[in-house]
Amino acid sequence: MASRAQSPLVRSRNRAGVLMSLPAFLLVAFALGIPIIQAAYYSMTNWNGITATWIGPSAYWKELTNPTFWRVIENNALLLLSVPVAIIVPLGIAAILNERVYGWRFFRTVYFLPTAVSWVVIGMVASRFFAKAGMLNELMAYVGLGWIKTDMLSNERLALLAIGITFVWSMIGTNTIIFLTGMATLDESTHEAARVDGAGYVRIFWHITLPQLKRFIQFAFVMTVISAFTALFSLIFVMTGGGPGYGTTTLEFFVYQTAFAKGAFGTGALLGIILFFIMAMIGLAQLKLLRTDD
Amino acid sequence: MTATVTTHEDYEHASVTGLSIRPRRQLRIGRILMFLLMIVIAIVMFYPFWFMISASFKTQAQYIAGSGFSLDSWKKLAETLPVGQQTMNSIIVCAMSIAIIILVSTMAGFAFAKLRYRRSTLVFLMIIAAMLIPMQSIIIPAYVNISKLNLLTTYFGAVIIYAALGVPFATFLMTAYYRSLPDELLEAALMDGLGYGGIFLRIALPLSIPAIVTIGVLQFIQIWGDLLIGLLFLQNPAERTITVGLGALSAGRVTEIPVLMAGSLVSAIPAVIVYLIFQRQLVKGLVAGISK
Repeated sequence: MASRAQSPLVRSRNRAGVLMSLPAFLLVAFALGIPIIQAAYYSMTNWNGITATWIGPSAYWKELTNPTFWRVIENNALLLLSVPVAIIVPLGIAAILNERVYGWRFFRTVYFLPTAVSWVVIGMVASRFFAKAGMLNELMAYVGLGWIKTDMLSNERLALLAIGITFVWSMIGTNTIIFLTGMATLDESTHEAARVDGAGYVRIFWHITLPQLKRFIQFAFVMTVISAFTALFSLIFVMTGGGPGYGTTTLEFFVYQTAFAKGAFGTGALLGIILFFIMAMIGLAQLKLLRTDD
Repeated sequence: MTATVTTHEDYEHASVTGLSIRPRRQLRIGRILMFLLMIVIAIVMFYPFWFMISASFKTQAQYIAGSGFSLDSWKKLAETLPVGQQTMNSIIVCAMSIAIIILVSTMAGFAFAKLRYRRSTLVFLMIIAAMLIPMQSIIIPAYVNISKLNLLTTYFGAVIIYAALGVPFATFLMTAYYRSLPDELLEAALMDGLGYGGIFLRIALPLSIPAIVTIGVLQFIQIWGDLLIGLLFLQNPAERTITVGLGALSAGRVTEIPVLMAGSLVSAIPAVIVYLIFQRQLVKGLVAGISK
């Protein structure tokens, strides 16, 4: 449409197009574009929100040699270990629901329910669940493991595990729905043919269903990784406040802490830029994956 | 580019047939086991809701003892947390942000799909690329900017940020939707003397209501549950949303657990209701990123 000669009609269409897309562009430019540029600039300064003195790129070097920074990155890396669980469990659930188990619609609704609930609420309940007098220890006592008596949230290593478990729990619904949607688009005739040829359920799932679901698995994987990096602020805020020590401080939480608890706006901006780079890399990798598929 | 989602219902009848080939008894036992497993998982997924409900109807002492029933915690909730006002604040902030997102993204989506101009693809890509920006990366400069504009003690600071964060994906979705409308439809309307504004308002907008609902539901759940932006950009306690009020309480760690659970329940109910009504649209929005 755009390549036709400039008739009055085309000109008025162009004008309408510019005018109608302008608000979106301005909003995104002013509230996201300019701040990300500011963040890049202030990341190389000593900024407290009011005055800033220039440091230069060496600010990045300084942060990259800071042991606390690597402690935080380690937490992010450990949290990533929960991503495969958040993919495999929902795959299994979706496979069973897709067999139209009695009441599957009801189950689907219940499993998806946590998607509607805020991380704050999930964190509230999870903190009680993992507490010393919580449900977890009751369950352990019930199966004869009462002597363990954990207090996960006050242990530097176990607290992160508790966050990871809660994270997986809340991703189950979303990922199950993604896979169910994928399974509904599958080509049923190949399944029928394989069944007639005597292939068992597991073989059909492994060799036919999974390869056809590839796009959906990739999508769920990327969304889960993005959530692990950028969606857990509220959960950490409510459950542990980043502690004990730096035990549950992830990069996104570190940004907040550095800027708003310590007042180091410059370093906070720098950490935000590093987070942005990681996310941009994941986004580009996803684009590449999608391209190679076609 | 359309975000088409084939629902389960479409395949419901197709998949039941093939199963009858295997021996009946083995099949039946397998199905019973699967059903039991699904029940166990349902209990795990529903546990938080059951916990909130049962804990909120106890006093602190009854909660520790593990049994009893009382309405005390619900009475105390109002003293601890201005639930009514904060729920109202949540509704106001959500409504304003969603209204801006829908207004801005439908117009832009229509322009990018049907009124393409020189460099419109570039502008489109710039807006879409903003999806890659995590809110934590812009929040510090945005906070300073908004404070310089004196908007931290109004709804508007938070609303602008929520809207800006929602617009890239919404524009992506709306552009995809409008691209699926046939050009002939618009050309015919043009012949009938309708201007581009008229075509958008009278033809495109009504046709795109399903996509608009999807965006609205997705954004509602996101903004309703957000803590970080509300915490920073709603500095005035009288404008705090319910999620922020709750989050601030939990950080204090002085409140009685049954009262906290009653508050959690109040904050969760509106989102759960929206979810139960618009489940289908929410699913569409969630998987819209897959189909290009």
